Amino acid sequence: MTEKTVKMKVFGMTCDDCALTVTRGLKGKDGVLDAKVSLADKSAVVRIDEGKVKPFELEALPVFSGKSQYRAQVRE
Amino acid sequence: MKREYDLVIIGRGAAAFSAAIKASEITSGQASIAMVGFGHLGGTCVNVGCVPSKYLIEASKMLFDQRNPRYPGIAPVAAEPNLKDLMGSLRDAVEGEREAKYEDVIRQYDNIDIVEGKATFKDGNEISVSGNAHNIRGYNFIIATGSSTTVPDIEGLGEAAYLTSDNIWDLDDVPGRLAVVGGGAIGLELGQAFSRLGSEVHVVEALPSILPQAEPEISTRLMESLAKEGIEFIMKARVLRVSTGKVIDIVTAEGRKELKVDAILMATGRAPNVSGLNLEAAGVKYSRKGIWVDSNMRTSNPRIYAAGDVVDQRLMLETLAAREGVIAATNIYEHANQSVNMMAVPWAVFTEPQLASVGFTEKEFTNANGGCSCRSLDLKSVPKARILREEDGLFKIVVDPRNDRIVGVHALSPYAAELIMEGVCAIQHGLTINDVLMSSHVFPTVSEGIKLTAQSFIRDISKMSCCME
Ligand SMILES: Cc1cc2nc3c(=O)[nH]c(=O)nc-3n(C[C@H](O)[C@H](O)[C@H](O)COP(=O)(O)OP(=O)(O)OC[C@H]3O[C@@H](n4cnc5c(N)ncnc54)[C@H](O)[C@@H]3O)c2cc1C
Repeated sequence: MTEKTVKMKVFGMTCDDCALTVTRGLKGKDGVLDAKVSLADKSAVVRIDEGKVKPFELEALPVFSGKSQYRAQVRE
Repeated sequence: MKREYDLVIIGRGAAAFSAAIKASEITSGQASIAMVGFGHLGGTCVNVGCVPSKYLIEASKMLFDQRNPRYPGIAPVAAEPNLKDLMGSLRDAVEGEREAKYEDVIRQYDNIDIVEGKATFKDGNEISVSGNAHNIRGYNFIIATGSSTTVPDIEGLGEAAYLTSDNIWDLDDVPGRLAVVGGGAIGLELGQAFSRLGSEVHVVEALPSILPQAEPEISTRLMESLAKEGIEFIMKARVLRVSTGKVIDIVTAEGRKELKVDAILMATGRAPNVSGLNLEAAGVKYSRKGIWVDSNMRTSNPRIYAAGDVVDQRLMLETLAAREGVIAATNIYEHANQSVNMMAVPWAVFTEPQLASVGFTEKEFTNANGGCSCRSLDLKSVPKARILREEDGLFKIVVDPRNDRIVGVHALSPYAAELIMEGVCAIQHGLTINDVLMSSHVFPTVSEGIKLTAQSFIRDISKMSCCME
């Protein structure tokens, strides 16, 4: 397993419930080991197994696309 | 002003505004955005482009129609323009549009900061802004710096105090004799407007035809129509020098010619604003034709996009700039890989008659595909044109013979800039001639010209009764 920590900017969160939805959306992805989402910083710190998921794939998760109100960019 | 933004947009014209608004919409107003630029908000279109030119064109048309009524029994009115008042109202109209569509709009976005000054890249993440002590960092950039008028280096021109589309709006008097150097859209539109306001207009063009990008049958007809109205065209001509007293020395195929005028409008084209940006430092490829982008508006630096007139592309248009701004923002935040279908982007010249075009010309399609199927229809065949007593014009449709799909629509007619939208929809949605024939058109309208041209692919329209479907 190649573990990596990814920092993401998350747009569109307005309340604690939003942060929870984004956390669930991230954690639901195979290869995501942990996700800490901050409503205040509009960001997420995500631990991933790079063998299973690439950082840029996180930006295209269902929680960050289509009709969902959240959008994200991998920053580091 | 912050020192770091999610998105830095360089420019404050159509492309920049559209990009900023779209990025705000996608991110629920949470992307921090800096819009950096100088001059009036809104850029070229509202301040010195589309808006004032169309205002002047419409005003001059009103004067022309009063002096030249089209119907017997309606007497001409000997009206003289007061250019000072007209230009004053034009400037008010520009100010009103700028306020309503740019200044008031941008105030509603808390996440967008307007930064005053000229931007220069330090590297791919940072710009300096003239007059500002701090540099600005950005995660993404959109370069939307537009274009500027270009004027060739002609001996004596500088001393002659020439006009361009940047400063012609300050005129208070109609020039007696006006030389328009350049037979492109801007030269023709302003040339006809001033001719109608009372100037004796001479268009000097280096090429053998006006509007080289247009379908040749149509541009030739437009030139004939404008010449009939009294505009002189001096073709295949080059301005050698301008001497004191605004005497223009011209070389043509027939020899030298001298033209003494009261004003010179230089309408010799526009060039993308790439200099001074230090694009090399940001790893952004460009040439004097503009910034290179891929089909997603992304430059050679993957975090930097470009949109509008500054892009290396064949059309410089307000709507194209705005669309590209939206596409750039969408691709940044949605990974949408959106692109512009250039073949479905319409353009128009707001002369009278209007010229409008979308898609391939006959020659372009034949060169690319080895052949095409085309039909032209004289405007005289359209009942509404006869009712309007404006029969000077032409329609042309270009079709892909392999599948009957419409790939080009070209019109020279009243309202051509409005009715070209049927061609845009046809090309954008891959419609065939039969799809147009199956759609009813309103009678009597000039847009029936498109239907009649489509019908001419399947029958001899001289053997058709009026409005036959
Ligand atoms: C006379 C005339 C008539 C026209 N008529 C029509 C028409 O009828 N229909 C149509 O579709 N189009 C028309 N156009 C074209 C249309 O105006 C342009 O295509 C459109 O305005 C381009 O928009 P843009 O956002 O790319 O650039 P612009 O609107 O030119 O904006 C560029 C911005 O970038 C800023 N800038 C430049 N360099 C820098 C820098 N280094 N740092 C920071 N800021 C910078 C400028 O100050 C400006 O705010 C006309 C143009 C002219 C001149």
